[in-house]
Formats: sequence, structure tokens, C-alpha cells
Amino acid sequence: MYKKIAFKVILLFIVLVIINAVYSKWFYEDDIQQHSDIINLVRDIPNDADIIYVGESSNNSFRRDDLDKRYISAFVGDYFPELNTYDITKPAAHAGIYKVLLENIPLENQVKTVIVTLNLRSFNANWIYSDLETPLQKSLVLIKPYPPLFNRFLLSFKAYDIKSESEREEQFKKKWKRDQFNLPFEFPFQNVIEWDYWMANYGIKDSVGNIDYKQTELACHYIKTYGFQLDTTNNPRIKDFNDIIKLAHKRGWNLVFNLLAENTEKAQELIGDELVYMINENAKILENYFQNRGVIVVNNLNVVEDEQFIDQDWTTEHYAEKGRKIVAKNVAEALKTWYKEFYVEVNLGTTYHTNFFNSCDNSCEVWEQMHTITSELAYSGNKSSRTGTGNDFSITWEYPLKVIPDSLKQNIAIELMLNQKSLNHDAKLIIEAHGSSFNFYRVGFDVKDDIKEVNQWVKYSKTFTIPDSIKQADLMKIYIYNPSREKIYVDDFRIVIK
Amino acid sequence: MLFNTIEYLLFLPIVVIFYFLLPHKLRWILLLAASYFFYMSWKVEYVFLIAISTLIAYSSGVLMEKYPGKKSKLLLLILNLSANLGILFFFKYFNFAAENINLLFDKLEIGKDIPLMSFLLPVGISFYTFQALSYSIDVYFGKEKAEKHLGYFALYVSFFPQLVAGPIERFSRLTPQLKAKHDFTYDNLANGLRLILYGLFIKMVIADNLAGIVDKIYAAPNNYSSLDILKGVVFYSFQIYSDFYGYSVIAIGSAKIMGVNLMNNFKTPYLAKNIAEFWQRWHISLSTWFRDYLYYPLGGNRVKKSRWALNIMIVFVVSGIWHGANWTFLIWGALYGVLYILEKVLNSALKLEKEHKPYSLGHILLSLKTFALVTLIWVFFRSQSFGEAMNIFTLLFSGSGQITEALIIPGYVWFWLIFFIITDILLYNKRFDSWMANIPLIGRWIIYAIFIFSIIVHAGVENFPFIYFQF
Repeated sequence: MYKKIAFKVILLFIVLVIINAVYSKWFYEDDIQQHSDIINLVRDIPNDADIIYVGESSNNSFRRDDLDKRYISAFVGDYFPELNTYDITKPAAHAGIYKVLLENIPLENQVKTVIVTLNLRSFNANWIYSDLETPLQKSLVLIKPYPPLFNRFLLSFKAYDIKSESEREEQFKKKWKRDQFNLPFEFPFQNVIEWDYWMANYGIKDSVGNIDYKQTELACHYIKTYGFQLDTTNNPRIKDFNDIIKLAHKRGWNLVFNLLAENTEKAQELIGDELVYMINENAKILENYFQNRGVIVVNNLNVVEDEQFIDQDWTTEHYAEKGRKIVAKNVAEALKTWYKEFYVEVNLGTTYHTNFFNSCDNSCEVWEQMHTITSELAYSGNKSSRTGTGNDFSITWEYPLKVIPDSLKQNIAIELMLNQKSLNHDAKLIIEAHGSSFNFYRVGFDVKDDIKEVNQWVKYSKTFTIPDSIKQADLMKIYIYNPSREKIYVDDFRIVIK
Repeated sequence: MLFNTIEYLLFLPIVVIFYFLLPHKLRWILLLAASYFFYMSWKVEYVFLIAISTLIAYSSGVLMEKYPGKKSKLLLLILNLSANLGILFFFKYFNFAAENINLLFDKLEIGKDIPLMSFLLPVGISFYTFQALSYSIDVYFGKEKAEKHLGYFALYVSFFPQLVAGPIERFSRLTPQLKAKHDFTYDNLANGLRLILYGLFIKMVIADNLAGIVDKIYAAPNNYSSLDILKGVVFYSFQIYSDFYGYSVIAIGSAKIMGVNLMNNFKTPYLAKNIAEFWQRWHISLSTWFRDYLYYPLGGNRVKKSRWALNIMIVFVVSGIWHGANWTFLIWGALYGVLYILEKVLNSALKLEKEHKPYSLGHILLSLKTFALVTLIWVFFRSQSFGEAMNIFTLLFSGSGQITEALIIPGYVWFWLIFFIITDILLYNKRFDSWMANIPLIGRWIIYAIFIFSIIVHAGVENFPFIYFQF
């Protein structure tokens, strides 16, 4: 009987080897694109990288009135123009995700320095047990360092941290209840649940003594987000960062942890000293802990002022332009450790521009709808912006026109390369302006009136005279609007204000 | 711990290995511990419920034998039923009853509200409660002797392969098998693994892929065309079948490896020629339970026609409510009752009852008729409310004026669904393990390879727990 079983086990092994070969050749890549397209963030990084900045949404969030909407990583790159700086940006990610992404950087990549954001909030239980964790963990299964069929097996049999929203909530509430505060001063609450409960009931009072529910809710949120004391022995994020340190050591990378700024001004205003104390203490613990392990930690905790935080009614690390630039400057200072000779001074101040260009291949200053970028077709480089079939708007130039002196803004010269698949559409070039001193302004030009060629790249130019009434526009937008199902590609979009 | 997870794929072999390594007299301890561990993997606290149910049924059985007087036995049975059904009612039906009473209070303008409870429904509570009840009723009627060994009795109630969604086993069938000494045999291992493989295929490749499509349709039916809604409705028929059938086959396979034969819960139900036959082929362990413990005690068919019709209606309505605390389940059950009676009456009045050879044209046409009826009735089962079900029917027959989405069904979903239907037709009145055993080695391994490939490469990746776990 045991011989029979052994024979069947061998047969099973052969079957699995054959299936693995079939799967790897014909199915794996499609599966990766469907379930683990997070890997494209790594694949997009050229092998000539010198510096890679790894972060979550703090890297690419911007405020609408930012004159320069580029990423923190792009600002860091400004200080080292001779070096190739790239980024891996995944919203809601944390060290556990960064670790897997970094493991997937090919050995051929010459990257020497890796900057990883150290987000204080990600050490709290409600992020560790967040309901975003299930899709994030799922997205990593197929890119684990095992044979493709085994990875797919793990995905099919749900071998990742899979929990329902209510189970996750139960997890972090249990943790909140279990973790007792241990502070060097008298504090009336044992844990964050008690503190939050008190705040919710007592509330923040407005000037006439009524409970301000909006502020109270925000205060409760701050307590739940920052009201914890870091335990470096058991916190899973610490383990993830330690794994990143090991990986960096193995691959010979210089490592920088970029401790992000938190809105301590708001924490002080809403709650007071106790919460700010906890935030500062936790930041200190992280700084010391990782510096002792040979990592350069850039402590940005208190460097961004309240006004620069984009989300005023929630806790995030989304900074407006000035905030992003300050963080970038501090990171750049730290990078001088290895790249002093490459460092150039950069003016932190903001100024207006009159010439804008988007080739769709790089991070750009003042453009939105960048999710329409595709590799399907390109006039220059590898990418263009695709409109139609759900993408109604092309990459969109957005700029506060009012910052440019009136004498320098008489006309806008628009030039772009356009490739339409048919003439069966009503696409328009749209120019619109928003402002408090005038009614909404919008003008459109039918693309078909000027371009009849299909399936080829054609230059599309237009000069627009700026009416006096909109010269003080808070925001000006220019884009191709194509609500049809016909694809129109746009590339090398240039705007010049004269 | 779901059957289609890595945890179970590790748990089962560990239990099986220790089962055969341990001396026979200790095996019940292992199986009981494993079963309680298996149940606790959902929610640790709910293990107390199953323990309480077990203790109540066990002690009432022992006491019934100790006090065999008619009155005392009846009293013990009533106490037992009240306690077990009370637990079931509290966890499964309390909120439903309270919501409806509150609605009534609102209508009558009585300014009171019964507060609702917030807790998760214990997994499989209806299954193990019915299993425990069948034992108690059998002891009361003297069909069974009371079990003195609490360990074996607890194992009978909680045997992990069939604990959370059946098959609902009878004491006389399962307990002797749990007590018997089973040797490790190649045939049991092979047959068990075949069933598990097939069950995983049905659940993971068929049910889980269809689930996402069905969910889309039922979440926003107004966005889809009549044809897409029809696809959604038909897919649900296959989803629920493959989901529950898949579970049952894995359960039977898991037990089979340890030498325990669980009853078949499905016999190609969509090839049934009428509703009566459908219920002889669908969830057999539940329909026979209702037959033995409700239909027969009500008088079965040895009563007047009108009383018989009432009995049928009672059985189907109770069966509907057994599935869930919602009016849609009650309607679902009642519709089966009506159809069952109508078919019987029409068949006997018009003398339509004829024998049809398997796979004959008559068989095919009647099966399609039954499938169409069952599929339409499933709409009530799947819908969250009567209004939602009626909306589906309206859109199905008159279409939606605001179609905004096209249902995209990947080619491989169609491929495996057709593959499954063909397999199911071939398995008419046969079981997968014995059918496979008759195929030569090469053919068998080609089939294994196809199933392994489909399970790994084309399994649905979203997490859809077994539908019947919620009952």
C-alpha cells in the first residue's frame, strides 16, 4: 500500500511540475496584472536608478492651489540633478508592503540608496488592523519569491491575512483596550478607549459653551490615532522595518527612514499636551531605535505647520507644496551623507511659471488626470494620455492664473500631439476658468474641425486670447474632453502663456 | 476554518495522521478536540453553545431512560426541545421577530420598541441543533437507546467534517461508525481525496467565480439588461448548488479518509423530473429530517387530501424558515409547497406520471422544466427582501430603462461551468469517487490534472464563505 501511495505522490509531483510550466508560460503574467499590478510600481523603475523613494500617499498628494504639484520624491531629486531619483508610491501602504516591493527590485538595478517613509500612524492598531489590509495583502501574494503555481495556489486558498471589516475592528479595539498607558505624569485614563469615551461625552465647547460636534469628532479621531505608546518588541511594523534593514544590508543599499510630519499643532489645539507628548515620545523612540541599527532617520515630525496640512478634518500626512518641499529638503540634507558632491541648493520659495510641458513620461508640476497615462501608444517616450471609453478627460493643465502678472498674460498658446482612432466623436479642447470675481468660464473647440487624420499623430495648436475678465482666475484648466467610446490619445502637451 | 483554505489543508492531514497513530480507545478524544478546535476557529465563545446543546440532549436522553414513564419522558422531551430550540430562536430568529413586532407596534401606534440584539449568528447552529434534536426524539420514541458515553455523544453532535453545514446525520448511522475501529486503507484515502478534489473544484472554480457575477446583478439589478439579469438568476442556481454540493462532497471526503461514511446530501438535483424528485435529490439529509420528524408525525399522506396538503405546506414553510430569519425564506418554502401540491394533483388528475429513461427526451424536457421552476424560486432565496425579489422579476420580464452596465463574464467561467454541467450529467445517480475508480489510471490522472489545474489557476480569488454556513 505504501509503495502505491509513494507512486501516486511522484505522479502528483510530475503533474504539478507540468501545470507550473503551463501556468508560468500562459497565465502568470495576466494574473499578475489582474491581482498584483502593484508590481508595476517596481517594474517601472529603470535599472539606472541611484535613489528610490518609497512612500504612501504623502508622496503624491497635493493641494489644488499648489503651483508645483510634484511629488516629495521629485523635490528630493531637484537637490541632486545629476542623480536618477525614482519613486515607488502606493497609497495606504506601510513597511510590510514596502518590504515586499523592495524585495522585488531586480538585482540588475543599480540603486544605491533607498528612502522609506516612516509613518507614525502606521504603528497604531487601527492601521495595523485596518480593513485596507486584506486587499493590500492579497495584492502581494502573486509576487512572493516562490514558483508561480505555488503563489497562485496561495492566492486561490486565501493564504493571506483575510478578515472581514468587523473582525478587524474587533482586533484593534481589543488592542486599544489591552494597551494601558504608562506615563510619567498623572493621567486620568487607563487606555485610549477611556480617553476617547471621555472626549466624546465631554466634547469640545464652542465660544458660547455648546458642544462643537465637528471639532469633538476630530478630537476623538486624533486621540484614537495618536493615543498609543510604541512597544518596539511586539509592534509588527517594527519587525517589518527591521526586515527592510536586513534587506538593505544584503543588497548593499544606503537606507534612510523618512519620519513624516504629523499635525502636532492641531493635536495641541484639540487635545493638549498629553497627546503631543505621546506623539513626540513615539517619534523619539522610532528615531533612536532605528538610528541604533545604523539607519539615518530624518525626523520631520514637527516641521510642517498646520496650514500646510491639506486634510484639516482628518489625520493624514498630505502636505501642500511648501510642506512637501520642507520634508524633501530635510531628506536631501540627509542624503548629503553619501552624495555631498552632487548636492545643489534649491530655492524653496514658490514662483510662477509661464511655460508648461507634459510628455506623459515623467512626474509633472501642474497636471491632473495623470491616471489616464497609458503605455498603449506614445508620440514621444513610452506613454501618452488616453481619453474615451470611460476616461472623459485627458491630462489636464491646472494653474492659478492670478499668480502671473497681468502684463505677462495676454495669450495662451496650446500645442499638443493628438492621435484619434476615428472621427466618430465630439471631442473638444476645453479651456475653463474658476474664480470668485467672475462666473464660471468655459470655452470649447471641436477637435474634428481642425484634425481629420485618423490613426496617426498630428500636431494640434490653438492660441487663445485671455479675456480680461478671467485674468484673476483662481484656477485655469485646459484639457481634451472626450466622453465618447472612441479612443483619442494625447501626448507632448505644451502650454505657453505670453 | 473554511474547507477551501490552507488552514484546513493542514488541519485535516494532521488530524488524520494522529487518528491512525492513536490507539482506538483514544481516538474519540482526538476527534472531539479537533472538532471543537475547528468550531472555535470561527468564534471561540460560541463553543459554549454547542457544549450546552450537547449537554441538554445528552442528559435528557439519559434521564428519559432512567424515568421511562410516559409523562416524565414527554416532560423531558419538551424541556429539551424548548431549550435547544430556544437557543436557536434566540440567536437566529429573535431580531427577526422583534423587528416584525416593532413594525406591528408602529402600525398600532404602540409607543414601544423591543431592542434588537447585536451578535453574529453562530455558524452551523441550525445543523447541530437538528442533529441533537433527532437523537432526542428517537430516544423518546424508543427508536434509540440513550448514549451513556458523553464523549461519543459530544462527538456525534460536533464531528467536524459535517459540523457546520451537514449532512445532518442520524445518531444510529454516525455514532456506530465513530465508535468502530477503522484501519487506514488505501481505498478510503483515495476515495476521500477524490471527493475533496471534486468538492474543491465545485466550490472554488464554479461557485466562487459565479458568486461575484451574481452579487453584481443582485446589488444593482436596475443597471443591467434583462438578458444579464437572466444570466445572474441562472448563475445563482448553479452557485448555490455548487457551493453547498461542494461543501458536502468535501465533508464526505474528509470523513471517508477516516473510514466514516457520511450520507449523500445531493444526487444531481437539477436532473430531477419534478419538484418532489428535486427534494429527494437536494439537501437530502434535511428533507429526510423533515420527513421523519415533522411530516410523518403530522400524519404524512395517510390523511385526508386537504390535511395532506396542509402537512406539505407546513413542512415546506418550516423548511423555508429553517434556512433563515426572513420573509423571503418563508415565501421560498411556501412556493415549493404550492408547486409540490400542484404537481401531485395535476399528475394524478391528468395521469402525467410516466417513467422516463435516464437521458431520454422526456427526462431532459422535464428536468429543464424543473430547473426553470427551481431557478425562479431561488430568486426569493437570494433576495434580501420581497421587494428586491419582485424587482428582479419585473426587470427579468420587462427590462430596465436605464442600462448602464454590461455584464462581463470571463471565458473561463463559461468553460468550467459547462464542464461542471457535463460532469454532473455524467454523474446522474452515481457518486464521483466510485465513478472515478472505474476509469483507467491514465484517464483518471488526466482528470485529476484538469481539476488541480482549474482549482489553482481558475479558482475565484474573492472570499465567499459557504452560503449554508449562515444557516
